[in-house]
Amino acid sequence: MDMLLSILNWLLPLIYLALAIDYGATFILRQRTHVRNSGVVLAIGVHAVFLVCWGMRYGGLPLAENVEILSVVAFSSVVVYFAIELITRDRRAGLFVFLLIFLMQYTASTFLAGEIAQGLVATRGWGTLHVLPAVFAYTALAFAAIYAALYLIGQRNLKHHNFGLLFDRLPPLDLLGRMSFQALMVGFAFMTATMITGGALFHRYGSGGGTLPMEPKLLAKIIIGSAAWIICAVDVFGKYVLKWSIARVASIALAGFLIIAALFVTSFALS
Amino acid sequence: MKLSVIGISHRTAPVEVRETCALTGDLTAKFLQAAHTENVFEEALLLDTCNRTELYFLAAGAGDCMENFLTHIKTLKGLDAAPDKSAFYYHQGQRAIEHLFTVAAALDSQIVGEHQILGQLKDAYKLASEERTARFLLNKLMHRAFRVGKRTQNETQLGRGSVSVASAASDLAAQIFADMSDKSVLLVGAGQTAQAAAKGLISSGVRRVIVANRTLSRAEELTTELAGPVDQSDNDDQIRCPAALRHSDPPGDAADKPQNGVQARAISLDQIGEVIGSVDMVICSTGSSDPVLTYDALGDIIARRSKLLYIVDIAVPRDVDPKLGDLANVFLHNLNDLDSVVARNIERRCQEIPRAKAIVELEVDKFVKWYDSLQVASTITLLNKRFELLRAAEIKRYGGKFTDADTEQLELFTQSLCKKMLHRPIVYLRELAQNASLSDQLLAVETIRRMYELDELQDDDLEQDK
Repeated sequence: MDMLLSILNWLLPLIYLALAIDYGATFILRQRTHVRNSGVVLAIGVHAVFLVCWGMRYGGLPLAENVEILSVVAFSSVVVYFAIELITRDRRAGLFVFLLIFLMQYTASTFLAGEIAQGLVATRGWGTLHVLPAVFAYTALAFAAIYAALYLIGQRNLKHHNFGLLFDRLPPLDLLGRMSFQALMVGFAFMTATMITGGALFHRYGSGGGTLPMEPKLLAKIIIGSAAWIICAVDVFGKYVLKWSIARVASIALAGFLIIAALFVTSFALS
Repeated sequence: MKLSVIGISHRTAPVEVRETCALTGDLTAKFLQAAHTENVFEEALLLDTCNRTELYFLAAGAGDCMENFLTHIKTLKGLDAAPDKSAFYYHQGQRAIEHLFTVAAALDSQIVGEHQILGQLKDAYKLASEERTARFLLNKLMHRAFRVGKRTQNETQLGRGSVSVASAASDLAAQIFADMSDKSVLLVGAGQTAQAAAKGLISSGVRRVIVANRTLSRAEELTTELAGPVDQSDNDDQIRCPAALRHSDPPGDAADKPQNGVQARAISLDQIGEVIGSVDMVICSTGSSDPVLTYDALGDIIARRSKLLYIVDIAVPRDVDPKLGDLANVFLHNLNDLDSVVARNIERRCQEIPRAKAIVELEVDKFVKWYDSLQVASTITLLNKRFELLRAAEIKRYGGKFTDADTEQLELFTQSLCKKMLHRPIVYLRELAQNASLSDQLLAVETIRRMYELDELQDDDLEQDK
């Protein structure tokens, strides 16, 4: 089983890299609606097999550490992207999505390779109920950020009459703006669920007579989660109540994601 | 090869001359009927577009086909004299095929890469088939030409990107809005380019149009026109194709055409402020010397919108205050911006020409090779070879069951049998070569080649030669 896990662990970043190259060709050749997603289906299949094998071998998903979570984030990202591509029949944003997915899976695979080799794998038990919505929330926020970035690039090109390389390769602006905000809403919902399940876990520990150790890692996660929730809330409030422009909503979604990513990297570096 | 083309195009004659030679509407059918009756052309197909009038044919006899064609033009158009021969080109054999494939690939079009030509070729072929003037060779040739056209469209970027201001505006709108069906456009002024841009947007799916004009009656006229039948013609071509050379619709057809379902209404220029908050696109082309859409009058209304607003200012002098373009949700493009898009697309298309030419060359080679294979003499040789191979295989299979003396007899017997079996088909082929028309000859040869898989045999021979 360990051999199979090792093979799949290194196969996944290769598949995602191949998909990024394939989508890169689509982007360069301006194949707007050329739907050929058998590669994505393959990636989803292989990744699902990997996670199932991991669960059978270690009794849970790789969710214990910040870095190994990235593999589950990568998986949820590819599933979400597949759904988006089927709905919009537009694969022009795929290059950017799969580059990010490749980076996430490569980082996760590097970490998981060590765990497999050492046989030291931690599991979460009830904590999975708290971590899974967090994974979905961060995935959705990553999508919101990608679409927001593409929106801002497209907007800048059209505003400044820069009809260069990216101009007609990007999906339409209103689609990008809509997708970015919808992804942010999904992220907001999952982040709220994460906060609720996190509170419930606290309560469970408290009612059981125990206390969760307030170690720096846990504090960092609480701070990052709260920051993400506040950023989503501000954006949703701005959009619906203050009638912010799409550009402003997209800018905050992107800036928010970058702040969250920076906080993750800092907390990881400090731990 | 007897295949030829006689034609006149935008490369050889100005529009005034082409107008006199164009066989539009029923005239094409009348010409083909005459060609069929007179038997001057064994096969004939007439392509008539606003940029060219071309006759592809297989001559039946040794008569002067050019003279015949020009005389027909004179008669059908009621001219005093036949058109000047010097404006026409005449290609034969491989050069004619190359010309047709170049036309099908839209490499010979006025707007390189335009998509209309393929449809026009198909229409021409359909008519020729109906009039029974397109038979075996033109049938094969035209299908190969359609293939060339499709390959160039699919495998190169030759037809990509708008090459007129109107379609550039429409393309830029498509970069902003994914779905046009729920979008509305405000047309300020009734200039020709703005109309063309509006039509382009309607063909992309826009279903609500508001026309604002200084004269309300003109705005109302335009709304009627925009809400009329679906116009499926290529925007880029319509602008350049002179009205006299466009094929007019047969009488009564307009009523049969599907209506485009556009809701159009007319307003005066004073009412722009009332509607600008709800529309998604604005196209301006008034002849006003002062801006019509000013920041002072409309800035606040537009700034309050949360939706995107795309403004195209095609007027010179400009109709739109540039300050409006600074608003967050507004995208403002003027004539210079659209021109730069067009120039970039034309350059991009030109870069694709060598790739398209390579496809044409390859397909010409394939067609010529196929045509050359349909020679009677070589087919007879291959037929003999096919039978000899079959005979040898059977001798090898059953030869062991015979004594040496019997084997000799067996050889003689099988050779004689094959000769007798081949006698009638060979005589038939030789008679065809002498008496039948080229189309019948080619059809028969191809049938025999398919029946006995002679092409495979020829390919094997070529491989061995190599």
